[in-house]
Amino acid sequence: MIFRFWYFIRETFVSLWRNLSLTLAAILTVAISLALVGSSLLIREGAEQATAQFQEGVEFIVFMNADALENQNEAIRKVLDTSPAIKEYVYVDKFAAYEEFRELFVDKPELVESVTPEIMPPSYRIVPRDPDADNVTELARQFSEQPGVKEVATATEAIRQIEDFSTRVSQALLLAAIVLVAVSAVLILNTVFTAISGRKTEIEVMKLVGATNWFIRIPFMLEGTIHGLMGAGLAVPALFVVDSKVLAYFQESEAVPLFRGFAVPDGFVWNTSIWILVIGAAIGMIGSAFAVTRYLDV
Amino acid sequence: MIRFETVTKTYKGEVVALREASAEIQRGEFVFLVGPSGSGKSTFIRLINREEVPDAGKILVAGKDVSSLSSWKVPYLRRNIGYVFQDYKLLPKKTVTENVAFALEVIGRPRPIIKRQVPAILELVGLSRKADRLPEELSGGEQQRVSIARAFVNRPLILLADEPTGNLDPATSVGIMRLLDRINRSGTTVVMATHDRSIVDTMRRRVIELDRGMLVRDESRGVYE
Repeated sequence: MIFRFWYFIRETFVSLWRNLSLTLAAILTVAISLALVGSSLLIREGAEQATAQFQEGVEFIVFMNADALENQNEAIRKVLDTSPAIKEYVYVDKFAAYEEFRELFVDKPELVESVTPEIMPPSYRIVPRDPDADNVTELARQFSEQPGVKEVATATEAIRQIEDFSTRVSQALLLAAIVLVAVSAVLILNTVFTAISGRKTEIEVMKLVGATNWFIRIPFMLEGTIHGLMGAGLAVPALFVVDSKVLAYFQESEAVPLFRGFAVPDGFVWNTSIWILVIGAAIGMIGSAFAVTRYLDV
Repeated sequence: MIRFETVTKTYKGEVVALREASAEIQRGEFVFLVGPSGSGKSTFIRLINREEVPDAGKILVAGKDVSSLSSWKVPYLRRNIGYVFQDYKLLPKKTVTENVAFALEVIGRPRPIIKRQVPAILELVGLSRKADRLPEELSGGEQQRVSIARAFVNRPLILLADEPTGNLDPATSVGIMRLLDRINRSGTTVVMATHDRSIVDTMRRRVIELDRGMLVRDESRGVYE
């Protein structure tokens, strides 16, 4: 058995080397397509994180006037406590609001200095039982008519935007990736086919002296699998670059403060990398299996 | 050793390569298959090692019905059958030794056995001194000896040869025939398709003649025609 192992390894690498240019083309195509698959997954996860972090299911916020009367607050609280439409809520008083403001604008001290806890509006962050956009809009309208309410901000619009953005980007990437994955499978098929045609006599002799079908197939399938794995191996560092550069760019974006939450946990990048390697190996195996069953005729 | 029972083989359902052919070849026999091109000689040979499957009839090789053999068993059948080609089919980038060893490597023989058997077989075919040459450095006759060594290194029960002297001059052919005769005398059944009248007439072995797929003659010490 040990003889066979080294035989397979030797034959596989001899063949990879013999078709170097095709091998490189196949590996690079796999790398690009898998990098796109991975990026698409990262962006989707980032969006999920961003929207999930947006105040933990809070769909709208009722801001009170800074000088709202206690009985006005009482009235709001009573509605929140009794209404079946409200699942839960958190009251953020002016001091807590000031703390948050300071944290959020820690890099803009002049802005922080311009406010005091006294002028911060206290707010109710509300989780409705039904997060449907129409329902949230209706609830928001009702609260905005209450006395003492300054304004009602719904997160729905912002969340819609970020979801929309990430869905479109990740779908476009995924579509490109699927096309490229198909292209790379075909390219691997072709590379393995070239390897097979370059060794016609060898295969014929192998068949006639009684080599088993799998013995003949395995080096070619290994070759394809290595194409896939090497491509995936190149795609993994690309994923980490996407994570540290592209997603980080969103997080630092001034224009869209919501994207501050656009972070992907490190564990997710690693998990995605493992998937990428599995997909790469699968592409290689499928591509070469096609080539072997179609052209090897054993 | 080999038995054909009313075997018929057609290609694409039209061209009849073999029509109800029956023959029995005993262990240790030497059989010439003769007949014009397209008479079915190659088909006869290809049916024995299951490169082709008959449309009708039965073919028994070493007691097994090869026409109904499941395809995963075919390699194991072929390990008992050596095959010599008209065009040698040597691997150009491998030396003589490597070419012969290849046949053992790909059926998973352990290296110590390969190391012992390959020099012995090269000795038998008279190529010990050219063991490290590449095929292109050899004459046609020498290349055919390598091909025979490769076919015989696993000590098969049967040796099939399709026009093994087809590309060789008469003097060289005689050398090849001596080698095949020697292999036959060691107990191996040899089936050889040929056009070479003088070889058949000199050797005086069993002759099976095919004509347009029909088995028209079967003589135990026959001549070409």
